[in-house]
Formats: sequence, structure tokens, C-alpha cells
Amino acid sequence: MGTMITMTRDLDIPRSQSTPAIQSSWQTGRLTMQGDSYPENSYELFDQVIEWVRRFLDDEERPLLLSLGLVYLNTSSVKAMMDIFDLLEEAHGNGREVAVEWYYDPRNERIAELADEFREDCSYPFAITPATTPA
Amino acid sequence: MNRRDEQALLERVAALLADPTHSGHPLFEPLEALAEQYRNQQQQLERLICISDRYQLLALEARQVAQTRYENSLRRQQKLSRISDGYQAMMRERNRALHQDSTHDPLTQLANRRLIDERLHQLEASGQSYTLVLMDIDRFKAINDRHGHDVGDRLLVAIADAMRGVLRESDLCGRWGGEEFILLLAETRIDEARTIVERLRDRVSAVTITSCEEKLSVTLSAGISEHRIGEDHLTTLKHADQALLEAKRSGRDRCLVAAR
Repeated sequence: MGTMITMTRDLDIPRSQSTPAIQSSWQTGRLTMQGDSYPENSYELFDQVIEWVRRFLDDEERPLLLSLGLVYLNTSSVKAMMDIFDLLEEAHGNGREVAVEWYYDPRNERIAELADEFREDCSYPFAITPATTPA
Repeated sequence: MNRRDEQALLERVAALLADPTHSGHPLFEPLEALAEQYRNQQQQLERLICISDRYQLLALEARQVAQTRYENSLRRQQKLSRISDGYQAMMRERNRALHQDSTHDPLTQLANRRLIDERLHQLEASGQSYTLVLMDIDRFKAINDRHGHDVGDRLLVAIADAMRGVLRESDLCGRWGGEEFILLLAETRIDEARTIVERLRDRVSAVTITSCEEKLSVTLSAGISEHRIGEDHLTTLKHADQALLEAKRSGRDRCLVAAR
């Protein structure tokens, strides 16, 4: 099956001042997001991410890992992340292997507190780890 | 009539109808028809009650589903608000920190020139009276040369701490240059200002730090100038500077008021 299909399915969005860097790898089952997120149109940005996660969970049976180095999130970005974590929770409920690794700059403990708030309703592995290099 | 009485009556009627001696009786047929009609109606009623109960159950279940859905959505909304508020608080803190950094000297945490300039313009715009003081640490360069800049920096930090201990809420103390400090005393006349500066000089001269087992302390020279109505703050500053220079020339470790 197609390398071609796999290629077109992956996201590679460069980091900007108001949007995080987003990369997905269908092949390794990995989605990474890094940076600040306060886009003008967050639905436009996150819809494709949510769609990618949904399709990976639907089409594949392999584990999915979210590797996050998110710093500042505006309200609609917070909502989008909650939606993504809900998708993972649902998949986990169906016996799927999913995990989140959230890295934060140890100089900003608040990020860890907020990541912990996100983690509240998640029953799958959700690690909040100080990053050795600042995110 | 309760259900048991009703049942008893029906049984009595059935027994009467079953008795062959009553078969020719003129009431036999109408009674038999009436009993049949009654039983049918009873069945109908039971079905109706049963259907109604099921509807009630469905409505109840639907209400519970709606209630659960509402509670979930409320919980989600609250979580969203809580996290979002957290990010906003983080942003405010970051802004505060940036503002502090952009208006204060990183070493001593005293006001920097930007904040002093801002305050001077504010005072000028509001027409508030104030007295301005320029202060300089005596022979600071010698300490830097002999003990190194890190010792000089430690001394500056200790002196800044001592100064903060003397000042009032409305006073603003800033680092004007290397070892030069400025004081803005709003609504303060010259005599009061002089008292404050002398107290501050006392405190500063009591500060000691240790370097290579040697105790170091310094004295402070100061020039005071009271702002005059209508005067440009640069002029006030110039007068304070001249007074400071005069204090230095006449032997240091003193406070002089600008001659006008």
C-alpha cells in the first residue's frame, strides 16, 4: 500500500509566532506538536490534526504516541487539545495502545500544572516530563 | 372497589353462569355478554397502563441521558475554562516579569533609567511637587579595581537593599549609572528630603561586605534639588548634579543642597 498514500496523509506544519510546529508520522504512529498556539483560526489548524488522529485510530491498529512541547495555548487551542485527548481516551477504552508525553521547560512549572489539568480524565499513559532542552 | 373484590365478583358471576340450572334464565345471556365485555375492557385497561408505564420509563431514561450529557458538557466546559484561565494567568505573570525586566536594573532590581524618565515625565505632567536627589558611592572605582567587579556588584546589591529599607511607598529609587543612584521624592520639600537622604547615607555607610577576609564599607555623596514650578525636569536634574559634584569636591561623604 502506498508510500504515496502515507506521504500525503502526514502533516508537516512549520512553527510560526502564533502556531506550533506540527509533525505527524503515519509510519511510526507519532504526532508531535511544539510551541505556542494562539492562531487566528484555530479550527482551520486543528481540524486537520484531529482528522489525522481520527483516521490513524480508525485505519490502523498500531499504537499512537503524542509527543507535546506546547507552551502557551489560547482557549480554542485548549478545546482542540481536549478533543484530541478525548479521541485517545475513546480508543484506549476500545483496547488501543495510546500514550502522551508532554515535555515542558523546567523553568516554567506552570506548564506542568496545566498539562496535569489536561491529564485529569485520561486513563492512558500520560507523562509530564521536564525537558532537558527548552521546548 | 378494590381488585380483590372485583375478582371475587367476577368469580361469583362465572360460577352462576356455569351452573346449568341458570341456563334458561332470561338474565343469563345479557349477564354472560356483560361479563365478557367487562373482561375485554379490563384487558384493554391493563394494556393501556402497561404502554403508559413504558412511555414514562422511556421519558425518564431520556431525561437521565440528557441530564448526564448536560453534566458532562458542563464538566468539560468547566475544565476548558479552568485550563484557559490558567494559561491567561501564566501570560499575565510573564507580562509582569517582562515589564519588571524592562523597567528595572537586573543587578540591583532598582528602577532603571527608563522607569525614572517615565516617572519624571509623569510628575511634570501632573504638576506634582517633588525633590530630586543624585547620589554617588565614594571611591567605588578603587573597590572594583582592587577586589574585582564581582565584589563591586555584591556591594551594589547590598547598598540597594539598604536603600529600599529607608524609602517610603511613594519614593522611587533608581540606578542612574554604574555607581550613581537617583531618588525621586514626590510631595517632599527640601528639609524632609535632606532628613531622608541623611538617614539613607547612615544606612549605606553601615553596610559591610567581606572580601578576602577584609570588611568593606563605603560612604555616599549626594546632591539635592527641589523642583520648581514650571521648571523642566532636566534643569532640576542639572542642579542636583551640580550639588553632587560640589559634595564630591568638598571632601565626599556629605549631602549638599543645590544653590539656586
